[in-house]
Amino acid sequence: MPELFNKILIANRGEIAVRVIRACRALNIKTVTVYSTADKYAVHTLMGDESYEIGPPPPLESYLNIDKIIDAAKKSGAQAIHPAYGFLAENPLFAQACIDNDFVFIGSTPESIRLMGNKVESRIKMADAGVPLIPGMKSSGTDIAEFKKAADDAGYPVLIKAAAGGGGKGMRVVHKPEDIEVAVEGAQREAKSAFGDDTIYLEKYIINPRHIEFQVLADAHGSTVHVFERECSIQRRHQKIVEETPSIAVSPELREKMGAVAVAVTKAADYVNAGTVEFLLDPDGKFYFLEMNTRIQVEHPITEEVAGVDLVVEQIRIASGFPMSDHFKNLTQRGHAIECRIYAEDAGNNFMPSIGKILMYKEPTGPGIRVDSGVIQDSEVGIDYDPILAKLIVWGEDRDSARARMIRALNEYKILGIRHSIKYLADIVAHPKFGSGETYTNFIETNFSDWEYDTDANLETALAAAAVVNGRQKPTVGSGQAAQQNYNPWLTLGAWRIGE
Amino acid sequence: MNFEFVYDGETKTVDLKENRFATFGDDKAPVEIESTPDGRIFLRNGGIIKEIHAVSNGDKTFVDIDGTLFEFTIPSDDVGAGGGAGGLETDPSKVFAPMPGKVVKVMVAEGDPVEPKKHLVIVEAMKMEHIVVSKGTGKVKAVNFAVGDQVDTDTPIVELELDE
Repeated sequence: MPELFNKILIANRGEIAVRVIRACRALNIKTVTVYSTADKYAVHTLMGDESYEIGPPPPLESYLNIDKIIDAAKKSGAQAIHPAYGFLAENPLFAQACIDNDFVFIGSTPESIRLMGNKVESRIKMADAGVPLIPGMKSSGTDIAEFKKAADDAGYPVLIKAAAGGGGKGMRVVHKPEDIEVAVEGAQREAKSAFGDDTIYLEKYIINPRHIEFQVLADAHGSTVHVFERECSIQRRHQKIVEETPSIAVSPELREKMGAVAVAVTKAADYVNAGTVEFLLDPDGKFYFLEMNTRIQVEHPITEEVAGVDLVVEQIRIASGFPMSDHFKNLTQRGHAIECRIYAEDAGNNFMPSIGKILMYKEPTGPGIRVDSGVIQDSEVGIDYDPILAKLIVWGEDRDSARARMIRALNEYKILGIRHSIKYLADIVAHPKFGSGETYTNFIETNFSDWEYDTDANLETALAAAAVVNGRQKPTVGSGQAAQQNYNPWLTLGAWRIGE
Repeated sequence: MNFEFVYDGETKTVDLKENRFATFGDDKAPVEIESTPDGRIFLRNGGIIKEIHAVSNGDKTFVDIDGTLFEFTIPSDDVGAGGGAGGLETDPSKVFAPMPGKVVKVMVAEGDPVEPKKHLVIVEAMKMEHIVVSKGTGKVKAVNFAVGDQVDTDTPIVELELDE
């Protein structure tokens, strides 16, 4: 009979480290945190039962340094290591290093992580397993006839892409056969000048796709299940920012079909533990495998809310050697959940990362609200790491009530001192096109490319508030600068309060 | 009592009258604003009230009204300080990094001509790159940092000699 671990090291930081610690606490497992010198007083650091410094702020010297993390694990006597997401989570060398040093890696096997991390190899393997892929060329081409044939096979419209890829450079959408020659030549030239490499290939162009992914879970005893879908079509620069489940575009029949493929992918990869299978879904209900993420996802909480499960607890149980809990074999979806990612990025200024001290921090609470956060009031947000601060997750009986709750909760969420995306997210969720479920992957580009704060209406009121908050201070507070010769009202203010 | 703030490059004056009404030097109706003993701030108009959120730190004051964020800076004689990061519009011949970070690319050298939006330097912070651009026409007077250097927002990263 397997036994749960009694101590786990969490090789991560921020909100997801906090999330994993909470799962450990719920299982009465001791936790070991690791931190870079930038995170000495971070929320996750101090939540551990033990905590070890692993180096300076740059990730390569701390959170990505396998040797230092293994050393900390040895020092602590932990039995297992949870990588969470990002950093070393999908690095097969780390999974292997854990095993080689007699720690259980809470995730899949190094072999399956390596396979799914290689996009070319994994697509070939999945095609062999009968998993639908976006039709197109298997490799790059140079001859026009090759492109014409591939386009005819895939069906128009088609997309011509630079192999070196990125930022839309060398990309062409072609709607009819007579345009393909010009497009191929143009794409080659553009790819050559942008990337110094004119290798291009062709695939079917999916109009108005949605990003639909399936949560999967597999144990070491032969059970593999899916835990329904998540729709993550709302993306900015390929970064998901709003996620929901169920998807308005997935019918029960389609769910069964896609879920079966997700399970097939998981089995074909010999995958164990929690993972995510990503698809593109077109408006006709055709879907195509994109990739598999071999880790717990940022957006896993919406699945937990709707399925009534704790995925991180289950990860730990499975890694301990237990068969998956019985309730995973009989899951139903209850209501609707939405997640918004709160980033330290200035939504009003081209999403410039924002750093500094959080001077005011008020989380929303109340019915249906969950906040997974890695910061508190007075936290310092630095330049070294991913700018995610927290995730706001709401649950409602249906999509409309979840939406209303999300807007309510975002309106109550106050973070001052650094810039962030809360108001932007509230406007996204409140947008009529979001309401009607027209959530395609181009949603942001189409509806929010020129979003900005509407400051005109409230500038005077904001100035009045600024005057009050400064007037309340003692004169010594505030400047911290050298005494100024000129008359300065800030130095003459007494301690006083409005209304007295 | 008069307060001065810099917002979006402009100096704004607020007059807090009777410690309760704020006016702005024109015909606009005054804003009636109160604060609680524990420091929360709200507007009142008869029976209608509305809570807003504000906090200050150093020369910066941050305000949230209905989710819209405002950042005000108390004007200072020390023009250089914090010039890059705040809402303070500074001398365009001094170019600051938008935030502290690491210089990953320098695209100009001393003497190079510049025009508006000309890319000068790329700074990396939080896994993202930010292109620092020129705001005027002229030439490069000095490049104060090299690739690999850490920059803050208080020292100009590039200095320009701009045409008048």
